[in-house]
Amino acid sequence: MQNNDELKLALLIATMAMVIMAFFVIMFVMYYQKKKFEEEKKISEIEKNHSRRLLDTALNSEETERRRIAQDLHDDIGTMLSLTKLSLNQLNKIIGETGEKEDQILRKTQSLVEETILHVRRITRDLVPTTLERFGLAEAIDEFILKLEEGNNLIISFKFNAEEQELPRQGAKIELTLYRIMQELVNNAIKHANCTKIEINLNVNEKFIGLRVTDNGIGFDPEQIKISNLAGLGLLGIESRLAIVNGTVQYSKATSGGSSAFAQIPVVVVTDSKPEPLHPFRRERVNI
Amino acid sequence: MIESYISYLIRQPIVCIAVFITIVPIALIFIRKAYINPIFLILLIYLLIKFSLDLIMFHYAANRSNNIIFESLIVLIRYTFLSSIFCFQLENKHFKRIITLTIITFIIFSIWDFFSINESISSSHDHKEFLYSTTVECLLMICWIMVYFYETIRSLKIPNLLSYPFFWLCSGMLIYYSSIVFLTPFFHYTFKWNGGMDLGFFIYVPSISESISMIFISIGIWFFSAKNYAKQ
Repeated sequence: MQNNDELKLALLIATMAMVIMAFFVIMFVMYYQKKKFEEEKKISEIEKNHSRRLLDTALNSEETERRRIAQDLHDDIGTMLSLTKLSLNQLNKIIGETGEKEDQILRKTQSLVEETILHVRRITRDLVPTTLERFGLAEAIDEFILKLEEGNNLIISFKFNAEEQELPRQGAKIELTLYRIMQELVNNAIKHANCTKIEINLNVNEKFIGLRVTDNGIGFDPEQIKISNLAGLGLLGIESRLAIVNGTVQYSKATSGGSSAFAQIPVVVVTDSKPEPLHPFRRERVNI
Repeated sequence: MIESYISYLIRQPIVCIAVFITIVPIALIFIRKAYINPIFLILLIYLLIKFSLDLIMFHYAANRSNNIIFESLIVLIRYTFLSSIFCFQLENKHFKRIITLTIITFIIFSIWDFFSINESISSSHDHKEFLYSTTVECLLMICWIMVYFYETIRSLKIPNLLSYPFFWLCSGMLIYYSSIVFLTPFFHYTFKWNGGMDLGFFIYVPSISESISMIFISIGIWFFSAKNYAKQ
């Protein structure tokens, strides 16, 4: 009888131990899995931040290089061309008294120099959107449209829908990002869509800034592009720029034919820091 | 007839709960359309066979007739079906091969076990209630469950284990097998149809753990989403 009780006790202990062990194993798997996932999440977050910083640095370097080239064009080549124009004017006065043939050649040279000056100015403005820095996104887009419409049979319309009458100024980085994206999308529409009409819409609310570029061209299948990795440098560039500012982009087929791209960026509170100088290379910055 | 059933239900409620609780996971598999997944389809077939055998055993037990042969048969069926689930679920090809081999070996072993342990096959009253194969089954199943848990931890493919159906299935099976793994060899030497040692509450432990495991399996099936499975 005593042996029977001892046996029961031993069985009870063994069974209880096994059941507790089973529960412990289940709990351990759950806990370990959760912990591992949190670690993985942290690592991927660090990697994401790192790649975002790299992208940011690359794009900042690109903008800085653009500024440097624009500065060189403006200060060196621009000045030289202006001086050449002045010299030609002086020469014109001297030659004007001697011969007709020389005068013709001189006038042609003068017009070529003037044209070159205009080209240099245009390239400088294209490189650094000074209007964007001075007056903001709406004016910069207006100017961009004006320039494009001059040489093309294109109708480009621009509408913005802000809660205030004027489009509020955003952070320099966000404005530049939206401007570059708009440039890329419009250029893509002109190059590939074979369109006659482009619509640019800018919506600003408390949380997001949305930029939509719609054309009436041949259109494209966004899913097909994603699957076949046909996205060129332009589209990848848009995604890279948006990744830095936590933005997103969606491509779709417009209901009226053609295609539509919608980029959305969360609004960031603008700090009171002064806007970047127009020609930053004139001020030497010392970083300690 | 019905009186004998009711009488048995009153006398052995814990054992009867273990029989009829099988309806819950079967119903849930149909409600959640989990049968579209091969794992749950195997589970459904197993549960249907098990429920049928349980009902037959219930009938015999209610009429105080010997049903030990079904007890031995269910071990064979249980291991064959439940371990084949792991063949689908495990990713390691070596383990899949090993499981397949163990199924074949286990079938042969259980048949041998049945004939060698029970001295007189014709005298079913002298048959042992628990064969060696039950203990072997417990050990093997615990081993496959551990392998699956190890793979789960290593692969990190399941973001939330608490809502993952197979994790609940494994948890239920682990609780069942770990609670009976020590009891089965002991029962082997003590239990026969014609009496044995009085173990009191312990004779109900397999039924209780079976009911708990069925609850765990039901929770797992409840978490199955046919919509999400189709997307995969």
